[in-house]
Amino acid sequence: MSVLPARRRAALLVALVAAWVAGSALGATQPARRASAAPLFQLEPAHAEYVPVLDGTKPIYVLIIGSDARPDQAVESQRADSIHILSINPAEHRAAIVGIPRDSYVEIPGVGQNKINTALFYGGPDLVVQTVEQLTDLKMDYWAMTGFASFEQMVDDVDGLVVDVPFAMNDEASRAFFDPGVQRLDGDNALAFARNRHDLPAGDFGRSENQGRLMVAALAQLKKEFNKDPARMLIWAASFARNGTTTLALDEVLDLAFTGTAVNANKVENVVFPGGTAMVGGLSVVTLNQETLQKISKDLADDGLLRKANVPPSPNEPLLGG
Amino acid sequence: MTPNRVQRGSSKKRRVPLALLIVPVVLVAIGVAILLALRGGEGGGIIGGGDEPPPPFDFIVKPATAVPTAPDADEAALSASAERVAHEITPIIDDLYTNAYLDPSNWRHDDYEEVFTAFAPDAAATAEQSLETLTLGATAGDVFDTVDPGKSKLSYQVLFDPDGEPHTAVVSVIFRATAERKNGTYLAIVSEGEFFLGQIDGWRITAFDVKREDHETHPPSPSASTSASPSA
Repeated sequence: MSVLPARRRAALLVALVAAWVAGSALGATQPARRASAAPLFQLEPAHAEYVPVLDGTKPIYVLIIGSDARPDQAVESQRADSIHILSINPAEHRAAIVGIPRDSYVEIPGVGQNKINTALFYGGPDLVVQTVEQLTDLKMDYWAMTGFASFEQMVDDVDGLVVDVPFAMNDEASRAFFDPGVQRLDGDNALAFARNRHDLPAGDFGRSENQGRLMVAALAQLKKEFNKDPARMLIWAASFARNGTTTLALDEVLDLAFTGTAVNANKVENVVFPGGTAMVGGLSVVTLNQETLQKISKDLADDGLLRKANVPPSPNEPLLGG
Repeated sequence: MTPNRVQRGSSKKRRVPLALLIVPVVLVAIGVAILLALRGGEGGGIIGGGDEPPPPFDFIVKPATAVPTAPDADEAALSASAERVAHEITPIIDDLYTNAYLDPSNWRHDDYEEVFTAFAPDAAATAEQSLETLTLGATAGDVFDTVDPGKSKLSYQVLFDPDGEPHTAVVSVIFRATAERKNGTYLAIVSEGEFFLGQIDGWRITAFDVKREDHETHPPSPSASTSASPSA
């Protein structure tokens, strides 16, 4: 065993002490902390939110079909009493609704010229989709359908729809008896509102616009209820899933519902393809104004939205006072 | 020719004992290791003052509600399933709030990383930007001495797919705690809101809407807290 000379022993001791001091200093360093004054005041109310809305630039087109199936009938094999294109621009959080009059005389693939509402009878919702795609050149992403009973139940499941009834209605056939103004309609009354055409000056055109009005009301109400209680989203999604027939998976229903909560319902354009009536082979049919149809369809195709310049006059204009 | 300084240096190397070079390095390393160990890693341990463990905390859980999507759903079966879902999710929310508000080793050191593991990736990105609302806050360690949980509640609504499988759960949360500031005043912490959870590698938060409505309060009475703070 060798003995270190005195100078080396001293050097080793100094090194040891230095090492200990250095190690202590490193170890004792406080972790970095965000530099800021310590606030001793209470926090202001704060809000954090994440809603997984769709934000793609591609428009989403959903064909909404109302079957005239009575409670004991299959919704897929009757006629389509109401047909609407719901067009959503996720990126801009905006939407448009375009109604297609049920008696529109159009080419139905594989069937020939007939009223568009018969497409449902001949080939179910898929044939209605094909017919509308051929008519408008718009590719539908999804379809959703209800019948009379399921529509009523859907409305009742969300505790009714708050609708601004635009004018008085007094129609025995549909049992639509309403004063104008904002009111909550239960399923029975919402169906009456949606079916009334006898006391509307433009008949089915005006009715189609009112059906779109219910959709806008639903959108506004979903948004309002979601903002107040986000869990209401489940009630709406479940109501739709239980009572509707659709190609939308539950994930997609929720995605669209979340996206719907971001849409400003007041800015939704609700229009109906205009046209006139004619008799074809003893049938009273609607002949659509081809120029307006093309204009609206092309406008929807680029971004899913409808410019003011392409919005046709409301078929209920005489009742709306201008 | 007389060699210059360089030549002298190269031709006449002095032998420095290897131990004299290695020992200081080893000792520095040992010193650092001992101190880190004593301080319990980041902020804990003996010398650094140490962080006490989080106070025990559990939400009070209300009965879960099943939301069926099948017209002919077996509601009793779904209710039982909704309870099971609540049972699975509750520990996630317990941990979320413990990590965000109650664990001193998080709030004392602005270290809330664990909080965001409860979120699905898209939601996590927004949650991280909402740190001041979803946690006790980045400067909590400068402000508070202790945080004690109060009576806090969870309620569940579970959406089932048409096959009767749980699809989405919405958890409504009311979380209360009392924080004692370093200046001796008290703040009531109130976090209230909804979390949507979907099954993404287990239940994870896919959407949320949370409000913080803190307010000044008085020192809590002993019975007002669900647990005593272990810190003095």
